[in-house]
Amino acid sequence: MSDPRDITIHPGSLAALAEGAYVPPVLPAGIRRLPTGVDDLATEHLVVNMGPQHPSTHGVLRMIVEVDGEELQNAEASIGYLHRGIEKQAEEWRYTAIGNLMDRGDYISGMHGELAFALATEQLMEIEAPPKANWIRSLVGELNRISSHLIWYGTFGLDTGGMGQFLYAWRDRERVVDILEAISGQRMMFNYIRPGGVVLDLPIGIDALIRDFLDDFAVHLEEHDQLLGGNEIFQGRVRGIGTIDREMALAFGLTGANLRCTGVGFDLRRDRPYAAYEELAFDVPVGTTGDCWDRYAVRIEEMRQAARMIRQLVDGMPEGEFTVKVPKVLRPPAGEVYAAVESPRGELGVHLVSDGGDKPYRMHYRAPSLLALQVIEQLLPGSLIADAVVILGSIDIVLGEIDR
Amino acid sequence: MLPDATVVGRALSAAGVPGAKIGETTLGLVCRVSPDDARAALAALKASELGFVMLVDLLGIDTGEAIDVVYHLRSFSRDEEMYVKTTLRYDATLPSVWEVYPAALMPERETAELYGLTLSGHPNPKRLLTTDGVPPLLRKSVPVRTAEEMRDR
Repeated sequence: MSDPRDITIHPGSLAALAEGAYVPPVLPAGIRRLPTGVDDLATEHLVVNMGPQHPSTHGVLRMIVEVDGEELQNAEASIGYLHRGIEKQAEEWRYTAIGNLMDRGDYISGMHGELAFALATEQLMEIEAPPKANWIRSLVGELNRISSHLIWYGTFGLDTGGMGQFLYAWRDRERVVDILEAISGQRMMFNYIRPGGVVLDLPIGIDALIRDFLDDFAVHLEEHDQLLGGNEIFQGRVRGIGTIDREMALAFGLTGANLRCTGVGFDLRRDRPYAAYEELAFDVPVGTTGDCWDRYAVRIEEMRQAARMIRQLVDGMPEGEFTVKVPKVLRPPAGEVYAAVESPRGELGVHLVSDGGDKPYRMHYRAPSLLALQVIEQLLPGSLIADAVVILGSIDIVLGEIDR
Repeated sequence: MLPDATVVGRALSAAGVPGAKIGETTLGLVCRVSPDDARAALAALKASELGFVMLVDLLGIDTGEAIDVVYHLRSFSRDEEMYVKTTLRYDATLPSVWEVYPAALMPERETAELYGLTLSGHPNPKRLLTTDGVPPLLRKSVPVRTAEEMRDR
């Protein structure tokens, strides 16, 4: 006998219901719906959207994906949802203001974007930032690397289904962002690194704040690595998928952790040194198999190395000027340069053309994530949808710099 | 860090691109070729002893008279970098180099779209960043705001 509070499930179309064609059976007590079984489940090719909204904050990325059941046959990235015309806008703003545009490209590595542009302008003007400015630039760069990698770590875990690490990562990132706010005045859109040096000197007492953070982070980072990396479910999800080999990485112009996971140990901080990196001792982690696990391990180790560098930078911070005197309105001589930094996502470059005026003639933002996104279209076909999400997360893209 | 210009010239001549102009600028070593020779030149530089295996960057520059397309190449074996430039008339066709450097796939789409060029030899020559009807935004002739919009503000 059915209880009037039971919800009756009507399988079949609405049209069939309207005609009264289907009469639901009287179900045995305790059964809410007829079991259908899956033996006769038909699979077909479907073209579906992943995005442009995601639950793992990859940004406004739309992947048009052709699936056969659970298996991905084809993937195409459809981008442009965050295109704001940064490169066009750079032709309308003066040089000291372009840092604001770079902040909004890769918005989780603002310091790196600003530094790339500042280095390009300084190359054109043939000036050099003073030693203290270089040390400060490396300091905020490595702090930014930790904050960016923590976002990646938290959201990558979400992609594999873990939720605990997400908030633990944010707890530590909040400490870093507080330090960057103390230094630059802003949590995210710093506008701190300009051609010639930096805008403000380090505040008094910042070294104590940073050392406190480093002491805690040394413990917390190992906990983070245990939480995800030491979890066999995570390892099972992540090992052996999304394998990039050396030839593919070089052919697609990959840089950063995406390149180093394949075994190519190219790091701009060591091989094209800038700022204070020549005076710091650090290691460059390199993977062996090029799968998602290697990218995870490389980025965790990069955080350890960044902490190691920050300690050296705080201990050895020189005295002196934090910027050279530059005119209020910069007019670099006509010319064309390329300057790049090792951002958390890879080689972030600025190709700058000057015509001698007060605004750049052409500024091109070389975004590492754009090239990484192309590799996705090669890696995803043949994988399961669940694996596709993990592979997409392991590449660590930011749509701000892809779309600009 | 700077490749040897004579070695570059030899590699290009051997590949049938003799008319290349190689010089040094603030950028570094820049080699100018015609748009039809670009793909052969890049293939020669990649395959030669110079070992330019990676396309680091691909961009367009509106010089006011034409569109310059810049290919930035890097060799890890010799730790060298160089640039290959071609010049295209406005509304010309940009031949794709994706078969030499698959890294060019999306940057070429973007450059063609934002400079009003037509892509040829590309497997997916669709617009990348903007929707249909949007003018080639990076052209110097396309203003950020039209005079009309400025008046209405």
